[in-house]
Amino acid sequence: MEAAASRSALAFLRLFFIGLVVFLYLPIAILAIFSFNAGDVSFPLEGFTTQWYERFLSNPTLFRALERSAIVALCSSTIAVTLGVLAAFVLVRRRFVGKPAASALFFSPLVVPYVVFGVSLLVLFTALDKILAESTGYFIGLGLHSVVIGHVVVSLPYTILTIMPLLERLSISLEEAAQDLGAGPWERFRRVTLPLLAPALVSSFLIAFTLSFDEFAIASFLSGTQATWPVYLFAQLRVPSQLPQLVAVSSVIFFASLLLVLTAEIVRRITAKRYGEAYASRGLA
Amino acid sequence: MAEETEAAAATLGAGASGKTWRRRDRGATAGLLSGPLLWLILFFVAPVLFIAAYSVGAVGIFPTDAGVVSLEAWRRFLGGGVYMSLFWKSIRMSLTVSIAVVLLAYPVGYFLALGVRKRKYVLLLLIIAPFLTSYLLRVLAWKVILGDAGVLNSFLSWSHVRGPDEPITWLLYSQFAVMLVLAYVWVPFVALPIFVSLDNMDRSYLEAAGDLGAGRLRTFVRVTLPLSLPGVVAAFLFVFIPTIGEFVTPLLVGGTSGYMYGNAIQDLFTRGTAWQTGSVLALFLLGVVAVLMALFGRFLQARSVTA
Repeated sequence: MEAAASRSALAFLRLFFIGLVVFLYLPIAILAIFSFNAGDVSFPLEGFTTQWYERFLSNPTLFRALERSAIVALCSSTIAVTLGVLAAFVLVRRRFVGKPAASALFFSPLVVPYVVFGVSLLVLFTALDKILAESTGYFIGLGLHSVVIGHVVVSLPYTILTIMPLLERLSISLEEAAQDLGAGPWERFRRVTLPLLAPALVSSFLIAFTLSFDEFAIASFLSGTQATWPVYLFAQLRVPSQLPQLVAVSSVIFFASLLLVLTAEIVRRITAKRYGEAYASRGLA
Repeated sequence: MAEETEAAAATLGAGASGKTWRRRDRGATAGLLSGPLLWLILFFVAPVLFIAAYSVGAVGIFPTDAGVVSLEAWRRFLGGGVYMSLFWKSIRMSLTVSIAVVLLAYPVGYFLALGVRKRKYVLLLLIIAPFLTSYLLRVLAWKVILGDAGVLNSFLSWSHVRGPDEPITWLLYSQFAVMLVLAYVWVPFVALPIFVSLDNMDRSYLEAAGDLGAGRLRTFVRVTLPLSLPGVVAAFLFVFIPTIGEFVTPLLVGGTSGYMYGNAIQDLFTRGTAWQTGSVLALFLLGVVAVLMALFGRFLQARSVTA
């Protein structure tokens, strides 16, 4: 410790750290404070009120948007985790021709800008709809289903990345033992591998869920008339009278997500203590 | 990334308690692989190929599309002009943001890895937690703070620092706003790889340097910094590559002067039917990202982020 920094350097670093933490949380705190302000979102403060919370709680369009985002997030996360388990299993437990290429493909959505996803899927769906309409007179159109498809694509690398480490750590001898006892491959997977993977499945689901719920870029292209929560929020930002309500609901969401992060960390620590550090993945993935 | 997994699988598979099945079960492998692979091919590869075809006129959707295969759209774009200069503007802004973010995050990573004994992970979580909340809401918070009638300006006029008719106007709807907000959004995320690379550094190197007579500053410059450089480069790329195509933050706080390349792509596809030009721009962006990844991808081992 002494070789890394002198006393004064350490004091400076500590100050810098505190300053950065303040910088990071100040805007969030400001939102929270003004969510209780009777007037506009500006100084001077005009008195405590909970009216904005009451207003947004009785705002059906707002809730419908939240609902849509929840549905999309639920669907896309379930699909992403399912596909992620399959992909992780194949990447960890199997050797096959073209593995590096497949691996690259699975992880490439991590670096592709979301705008490219959005427009390319928009073009594809529009073209397909045009063909469909010209041949059958029907068309599907854009909606929550298209958003789900886009979200699965971007969530898949994260689910694979979360499941792979745990899968690698699990010794194959457990599966071999199950096989020796007469279990077929699906039964092995269902009764041995899957239960042991449960923590990774849960955390990858949560990662995919939060990613999808808050995702604006892709949804803005693909949601059509069915605005998800971020798309709705964005549209409402243009209406100044709605701002205090949005500030209120934002504070709720901030508080809830910070709570979620805290809970996840506590759960991780408990799991680590109970089952040993090797079982619970270190880190925040 | 793929090589890592392959090598690990190969070495482990060689032993008796291997991690891969030695028996080749090709049918099952293909079956398992087909789900995720098919999804990505249908909804990632195919759309990209489609807009590539669109950009050269091989396909068209609207009556206004040329219907002739030609590189004219590409020639117009690459020959300079509004969109090209917009691209370079975005590169400049991304570069600035990425450098600023790394400079801000490095002391934090250093402090947590080498200056804190107890509770380093709690403090790390404190820094990272904001990144795990809503991106859109964090941008909204700044929009609310920086506006002409926003929190900061109203505070300045209420405290009589400035008159009520003299708000600082360049705070919002400017390049400054876009870069400030992007830096704010990315700093938490970037602290992680820097912290990991510093935390993983063997402390005995520091002691050895001290034993050999180096002062702390010299030790930092000659030992710590070089050893942490992979983490720093990874952090830089994690911010730089996505930010080039960023359009959400500019849309909310950028106004006209903070307009970026990604906004042009969005506008081309949502206002009017100039989808061929939009395809050219989108594909160009993808190409730039691919080149960056080919050149610097080796720094971005996914493991460095997930620790």
